[in-house]
Formats: sequence, structure tokens, C-alpha cells
Amino acid sequence: MTPTRRSDPGLGNRLSAQTQPMFHRILNAHPITVRDTLQDVRHRFRSEVSEDTLGRLELVLAEVMNNVAEHAPICDDPQLMGAGRLPVIHLSIVRHNSGLTCALTDDGVSLPEECLLPRSLPPLLPDDLPEGGFGWFLIQDLTQALCYYREGSRNYLAFCIPFAQS
Amino acid sequence: MQFIVEDAETHLNIKVTEPRIDAAIATLFKDKLREIVVKNRKPVHLDMALVDFMDSSGLGAMIAVRKSLPENLALVLCALTPNVERVFRLTRMDSVFDIRPHPAQKEPL
Repeated sequence: MTPTRRSDPGLGNRLSAQTQPMFHRILNAHPITVRDTLQDVRHRFRSEVSEDTLGRLELVLAEVMNNVAEHAPICDDPQLMGAGRLPVIHLSIVRHNSGLTCALTDDGVSLPEECLLPRSLPPLLPDDLPEGGFGWFLIQDLTQALCYYREGSRNYLAFCIPFAQS
Repeated sequence: MQFIVEDAETHLNIKVTEPRIDAAIATLFKDKLREIVVKNRKPVHLDMALVDFMDSSGLGAMIAVRKSLPENLALVLCALTPNVERVFRLTRMDSVFDIRPHPAQKEPL
């Protein structure tokens, strides 16, 4: 940056006000790739947001992306075992004044409607504790402005992780 | 996957050395830990101090291990880090597990 540009306070202020840290990645929906991506997200934002916010972000992203991986279309053709195509996830995260806004799209199976309906925890029966059914509860509990639509062969999911938990 | 297992006579001290209990390893984690606790048939104190992250599949694995222990044998979780504690708290599983702040010392007989 030249001294001339630096001395222009209008431009400088406007740039700093508009520039927010972002993260964008295209990844295969596989648990190991998801894990690597989460570690890169953590690295990207760890000097920007609190450890508490980062922990909530990481948990929600893990739940969303591992759901895509877990519900990848099953390939019945034994010839293609292991070579079947994994869904591809596009992940974008932008820091805003009040939180981290996330947008994810994937070309996996359509999201069942009940995932987005208000959820409660699975019943905690002492004799028969549930071993699953927590993922979408956690996503709903930790996000704001959660919205979903499907267009063509892709799922679109967006939400915000607030800095201060309400 | 490694667990550091120490037989404290009255119970078993198990230290989890994996930094993440997530979808990538939840099934393996469950199988290995279940094998240890079922074989020893003692109350278990699980030291979680090194676990930085756990998701719902990791929680499911912990619940499966809890269920594999006979009713009268305790599974005590020690030294949960904040990200792990959050998952237990939000899912109300903190009311099911015996959660303690620090690794339990050997109990006097």
C-alpha cells in the first residue's frame, strides 16, 4: 500500500469496515475430510472469535456435514464399492457483527422435513438410553435463523452462530 | 486408538488419548472401550482431559459404553473439557452420567 493511499482516511475506513474474515471450502462428504475442514475452520477464526463461539461453530458444522456423509446415497453396484461418488459440500462462513453466518450446500439426499421441525430431545429412558437422535437437536439449539431449501439436486442450509448465546 | 488403562483395585482408571471423538472414529472408540470395560467388570473412571472435541456420534458411543456396563457398575466421567461438557449438558446427558471435575484419585479401601 502506498503512502498516498494510506493517507486517504475515507477509503481506509470503508475497507476496514467491510472486510470480515471468511472461510470457503469445497469438500467431499467424508468423516475424515470433515474433520480436517473443521480444524482449518478453527485455525481460520481462532484469533477472531471466542473459544466458546468457536466450540459451538465446530459442533454445529460437524453435525451438519457428518449428516451429509452418513446419508450419502448408497451405491448398490459391487463393482463401484468404495468408488461411489461422495456428496460434495460447499461451505462458506462469514463473520458478522453479531455472529458467524454459515451457508452450506450439498448434492446429497434431500433433507427429511422432520429435521427442521422444532425438536425436543429423544426420551431419556434410564433403562434404554437413546444412542442417537441428538444431532438435529444440537443444530437447532445452537443456531439462529436456520433455513433450508432444496433446489434441483442440491440442499441449501444457512444459519448463524451468535457470539453471545441467548 | 489407545486407552491408558490402570487397575486401581476398586475400579478401573481409563485415560482417553484421542483428541477427538467424532463420526470418523465413534464406532471404533465404542468397540474398543466396550471390550475393555466388559472384560474387567469393575466401575470405570474415564479421564477425558485430552479430549478437545466430541460430536453427537461420539456421545452415542459413550452412551453405548454406559449401557454395556451392568447396572450396578458406575461409569464416572472425569475432567471434561468445555466443548465436551457442552454436548453432555445440552443433551441432558449430564443427568445420566456421573460427571466429576478432576480425575479421581485412587480411593482408599
